[in-house]
Amino acid sequence: MPDFKTEVINQLRDLNLPPARELQISEEICQHLEDFYEQAISRGATEHEAYESTLRELQQIDMSRNALKSAVARTAHEPLVAGKQSGTSLLADLVQDVRYGFRVLLKNPGFTIAAVVALALGVGANSVIFSVVNAVLLRPLPFKDPHQLVMVWEEATHLGFPKDTPPPGTFLDWRQQNTVFSGMSAMALKNFNLIGVGEPERLDGRKVSANLFDLLGVRPILGRTFSADEDKPGSQVVILSEGLWKSRFGSDQAIIGRAINLNGEMYTVVGVLPKTPDLPATDNWHDQLWVPIAFSSEEAADRGSHYLGVVARLKPGVSLQQAQAEMDTIAARLAKQYPESNARRGAVVVSMHEQLVGDIKPALLVLLGAVGFVLLIACANVANLLLARAAVRQKEIALRLAVGANRSRLTRQFLAESILLAMIGGAAGLGLAVIGLNVVKRYVPNTVSLAGAISIDLPVLLFTAGIAILTGVVFGLVPAFQASHCNVNDTLKESGRDAAAGARGHRIRNALVVAEVAVSFTLLVGAGLLINSFMHLRNLDPGFRADHLLTMKVPLSRVKYPEQEKRTAFFDEVIRRVRALPGIDSAAVGNNLPLTYDGDSILISVEGVPDPPIDQHPDVIFRVVGPNYLSTMGIPLVAGRDFTEHDNSQSSRVTIVTEKTARYYWPGQNPIGKRVKTGGPDSPWEEVVGVAKDVRQNDFIKEPKMQMYMPYAQVGDFPPNALVVRTRLNPLSLAPTVRNEIWAIDKDQPVSDIRSMDEIVSEAVARQRFSMLLLGIFAGLALILAAVGIYGVMSYSVVQRTREIGIRMALGAQRTDMLKMTVTQGLKLVLVGLTLGLAAAFVLTRVMATLLFGISATDPLTYVAISLVLLAVAAAASYIPALRATKVDPMVALRYE
Amino acid sequence: MLDRELKKGSAELLVLSLVQDRPRHGYEIGQLIELRSRGFLHFNVGSLYPLLYRLENRGWIRGRWIEKSGQRRRRYYRLTPAGEKVLAAQRHNWREFVGAINRITGIAHA
Repeated sequence: MPDFKTEVINQLRDLNLPPARELQISEEICQHLEDFYEQAISRGATEHEAYESTLRELQQIDMSRNALKSAVARTAHEPLVAGKQSGTSLLADLVQDVRYGFRVLLKNPGFTIAAVVALALGVGANSVIFSVVNAVLLRPLPFKDPHQLVMVWEEATHLGFPKDTPPPGTFLDWRQQNTVFSGMSAMALKNFNLIGVGEPERLDGRKVSANLFDLLGVRPILGRTFSADEDKPGSQVVILSEGLWKSRFGSDQAIIGRAINLNGEMYTVVGVLPKTPDLPATDNWHDQLWVPIAFSSEEAADRGSHYLGVVARLKPGVSLQQAQAEMDTIAARLAKQYPESNARRGAVVVSMHEQLVGDIKPALLVLLGAVGFVLLIACANVANLLLARAAVRQKEIALRLAVGANRSRLTRQFLAESILLAMIGGAAGLGLAVIGLNVVKRYVPNTVSLAGAISIDLPVLLFTAGIAILTGVVFGLVPAFQASHCNVNDTLKESGRDAAAGARGHRIRNALVVAEVAVSFTLLVGAGLLINSFMHLRNLDPGFRADHLLTMKVPLSRVKYPEQEKRTAFFDEVIRRVRALPGIDSAAVGNNLPLTYDGDSILISVEGVPDPPIDQHPDVIFRVVGPNYLSTMGIPLVAGRDFTEHDNSQSSRVTIVTEKTARYYWPGQNPIGKRVKTGGPDSPWEEVVGVAKDVRQNDFIKEPKMQMYMPYAQVGDFPPNALVVRTRLNPLSLAPTVRNEIWAIDKDQPVSDIRSMDEIVSEAVARQRFSMLLLGIFAGLALILAAVGIYGVMSYSVVQRTREIGIRMALGAQRTDMLKMTVTQGLKLVLVGLTLGLAAAFVLTRVMATLLFGISATDPLTYVAISLVLLAVAAAASYIPALRATKVDPMVALRYE
Repeated sequence: MLDRELKKGSAELLVLSLVQDRPRHGYEIGQLIELRSRGFLHFNVGSLYPLLYRLENRGWIRGRWIEKSGQRRRRYYRLTPAGEKVLAAQRHNWREFVGAINRITGIAHA
């Protein structure tokens, strides 16, 4: 029979059909033509005639080429022969690999979901924390040459103030004598009552040296900064923050030159400053305006009032150490020159960045480490999944190699698949990060000055993508490597599953599970320690009853209420009115409530006790309070009485000390009736009438220092600025009523910071809560991922051992035996992991020491509890596959293959 | 001219009908059309295969390579469930059409 094949192929060639399709069509048409030819012969045609008529038939193809092409073109669902060596371009290969990868992933939804979820959690958690770290630790402060900026503090460690605020006298000496700073500015926190623009409002502000903004390199968005001659007493100028300018003055472009009423005095606005991070201050302090600090000559000589923050800029080329060395020299000189005030007081130079973020840094670094661990576990999980699958696919790979796929192409295809998986996981992770960051932002404590600046930005995006792709390459390589070293012959000869159960793959997977358990144990211990610390913190007795207390700041203007009598009258009226409200048990006023301020301490002289030398004379924190303050706050009296309305300017001076003060000055004696002086040798004696329990006044975490209380009616300075109300109801629900009572007395009186005392306490541990919450979440994720990992490995191993289990059961093994065998196998891995994790946790949790409170980094209870939790989870994770193993029908298992 | 148009319109119906009861290969389909139309209808290789591929592409028929002992493998086409529905509809339409033509031209009463 003549050969028509060549002819047919010639006819089809320039139709550019897909090669495989072309092959099939030519085969089919050849057969048709051969049938045609045979039939012609059988009807009696000569070979020549038959050949001629067949060729004519063949030529019909030429006439209907277009019909053929359009009919075939749409038959595009060409099966991809993955790994087939084709002569096409690299790009086409890549497209093919990616398409094939997608199809493989879609075909195994369980695998894909598990892997993508693991990656998304790992990458998401990393992105969130890296975003925070990037915003808080890595990004330079938005000031000019921020690395040159420092804070200079007075060092008075012997009094418990390693970073004390210097007095004006010391600051001016520093500024005059130093040669290392190109500029030095002082600042002091000050509240301003803004009156005459809508509701009266109390604003956070600062008195600052005129050069502060030039020193920081902050340019006004409107107007100018202060001039040097405005840094003198009597100059009434103010710079507004952008926020205040927008919220209270409607972004008025004509604000410059306008006079505004602050504390009853008129100030001229000279400039508006853009948003900048809050400079170091007390918690929750956000500058809204600035006035010149303008020391009077009296103030300039003051070496006893420690209230300044000092910002300085290092001269170019001067290091922090050099600056510190010179400040040491100057401080030593001043200590000699003014022993009364400066003895034993040094100076500390701290970089601005360290100052602003130093406190949160350890927590963030621990969290960064933790999310790194989470990612490790996630990757281990995905690697495990891929390994198990590569083992199952080993026969497929061998088959492909046998039919001519080339190894490097196969490797590439595996890589493409893994990277594709990593990218999907990475994208899902990024989505998770955006959601997570919005949640986390709410918990970033206000003390992190830059919290507002946290966002997912380009570096974070690159970082995330980097992690995802790196992960893909790393775990994509193992199966690809295995594939490229697969021995075709051996694999094909073995039954597919036995090959998959290869000892090496098993070992790697077991090692991964051990590692996962070890890492998650470390994380869990870290989280456990933090949770434990936090419990300790929350169980601390603050010294007062925080529940059912409403607090608000009511700062009086000194211009409007210049005299003591006026102030007393105002507060008496406030208390009288508030007390008359329904649901209120008592009300009192005080100067700075606990945990809202960390200043105000004095040196006291005690009758009959010689004053200790100045450098050994301990500070006593004092609070100036109104009648019934202690009972309203729920601060228990150990002896004596609370202040009453009768302790006023007419009566003899009285004071209440805390237990600690009493123990220090009158050990073993009854302090009631003892007398002290708080205002120097010429001041009147004050008689101790009560002893109160110690209160965590300045700092929630540190042990309370010595404290004392004085009645405001007897102390002219330090007027009360806060109102505290004890109620039986939800304290915040009363806020509007109470505020209205205050406005009924003075409609211009600002009322601010309305909070319950519970909130204040809660904010005092906000940073600890933040770390605890996040580490807790990450440890939880780690636990879940590890459980999934154990589950995956155990299920896989059960499937692999189906035949073995079948045989054992056929030979009479009981279900419980099988159950025990499988669970034991899982627990063995977990125990090895636990042991390693124990060692790792022991070492690694040491870095957390600064974050812990009331608990050691090696707290045995935590370790034991976490071990039990992990064991229980691991047992459950291997129990489910084990249970499935026992359901195996021996007959089915034996036939299995 | 009329011949070609008629063939085109009815070709699908013919092929679908022929593979309804059992799978057939291309040459067989072509032969059966010629045989049963007593030579009136003839599909050459250039018109038959594009038609088969088009029908297959629409999912109305499905081709499979089948080897029978002693023969080379051949591609057999069978009707798919979707093709089944199309065939029923086309048959119905054809009957309506022929009936209408007959009623008008009076062939039935002739």
